Amino acid sequence: MTTFFKGWALITIAWCIASPALGQDLLDLLNEGVVEETRPVEATFKDTRIVNVQSNETPAEGVMHFVIAHRFGTLNSGIYELWGLDNAQMRMALDYGLNDRLAVGVARNTYQKTYEVNVKARVLQQTTGPEAFPVSVTWYSVAMANGLRPSEGMSMPFSHRLSYVHQVVLARKMTEKWSLAFVPSFVHRNVVATPDEVHDVWTAGVGTRWKVAPRVSLNGEYHHYLSKQFDDSFSPSLSLGVDLETGGHVFQLHVTNARGMFERSFLAEPAGKWKTGDVYFGFNLSRVFTVRD
Amino acid sequence: MMTPKLLLLLAIGSAAFCRAEAQQFMTREGQVHFFSSTPLEDIEADNGQMSAILDEATGGFAFQVQMRAFHFPKALMEEHFNESYVESDAFPKATFRGTLEAWDPTMEGQGPVAVVAQGEFDFHGVKTARSIPGEIMRKDGKWVLDARFDIALKDHNIQVPAVVRDNIAATIAVDVHAELAPR
Repeated sequence: MTTFFKGWALITIAWCIASPALGQDLLDLLNEGVVEETRPVEATFKDTRIVNVQSNETPAEGVMHFVIAHRFGTLNSGIYELWGLDNAQMRMALDYGLNDRLAVGVARNTYQKTYEVNVKARVLQQTTGPEAFPVSVTWYSVAMANGLRPSEGMSMPFSHRLSYVHQVVLARKMTEKWSLAFVPSFVHRNVVATPDEVHDVWTAGVGTRWKVAPRVSLNGEYHHYLSKQFDDSFSPSLSLGVDLETGGHVFQLHVTNARGMFERSFLAEPAGKWKTGDVYFGFNLSRVFTVRD
Repeated sequence: MMTPKLLLLLAIGSAAFCRAEAQQFMTREGQVHFFSSTPLEDIEADNGQMSAILDEATGGFAFQVQMRAFHFPKALMEEHFNESYVESDAFPKATFRGTLEAWDPTMEGQGPVAVVAQGEFDFHGVKTARSIPGEIMRKDGKWVLDARFDIALKDHNIQVPAVVRDNIAATIAVDVHAELAPR
């Protein structure tokens, strides 16, 4: 008899424990049958640019992205020029997100009074989850127009002022802290300044971001020159920067050897020498305005 | 006389009783709303994917909220929320596990009854003991739950940088609404 009741009690208890109703933790029950969703990887870079070059990011739908960028004179220009701070040039830019994948923009640069019109499209998006996709691909095209007055007695047809850059940004957020981009670019100039220069220039660029704190990251980029132009003294552009983020602003501080802040200048034109301090301090301030919800 | 057959029959009978006792109610579509209010800026976000479960027999109660399911009116806010504040990659969800105090499952036909959920709230890697007051009501075969509580950001180690300290409240108000159906 006792054996029987022992047996009964044992089986009952075992059944009750095995039963999902009582034995399991309630939180485990909540996770039962839940499948992880595939979702886009966000914040590969904190701004639409790494330092000079485009990142894979675009402004979100209905967001106006306003950038005021400063590039000062060379750091080796001495105390008289306050190491370049007396010679600021500017780039003012407005980018607008037509949707989350397509943005258009205009800009005006002090340097050679250059105007820009650009379009930027996220073609593919890196995702994480069960159906993860490894890389983001963004297309960027910009047309630039030199706005300088022609020399006395000379005329300058509009087509001579124009240059174009097309590039693909292949970006991957490698880890939560580290992002990497590969940016091949093609530059076409309708008119070049010297016989040494070629109309079509190809470059291969790399850019990276290292997030050192929740709102601070270190950025760098380098553009390797693929087309034959100039002699060996030519310096390709190399830039290092810090992104500081506060609410709707991103402050980008950087040091670069590129003079201009638009693609034709920093990709296809000779940059200053890092070795001799022929580099520029720069400062971008970007602000987003949500103009359409 | 005590055959194994009879033993098995009795055991299954008691096991069925054990299952019937353990009726559970749950949802995966609970609503969470949070609100940060300062003189400079109001920030709010919605999440319609809270999952919650109530064990009717014991008053055992748990909920779970995916951080990435919070949606903000501004895309950048959402990015900052996930990347810099709650750090959703490291801490993807907030959970609560506890019991409803003085739980009485026989309140059919009554209006909302005040209850207190006593338990452990795990958010941004910090566990705090909380007693969350709310109301519960039996309606159309469901348990309808409403609660409002505050979360002090510093209790959960959420850092707010000095430059936006005037824009983000130190204490966030959270509203929860869930309709739990038999599972």
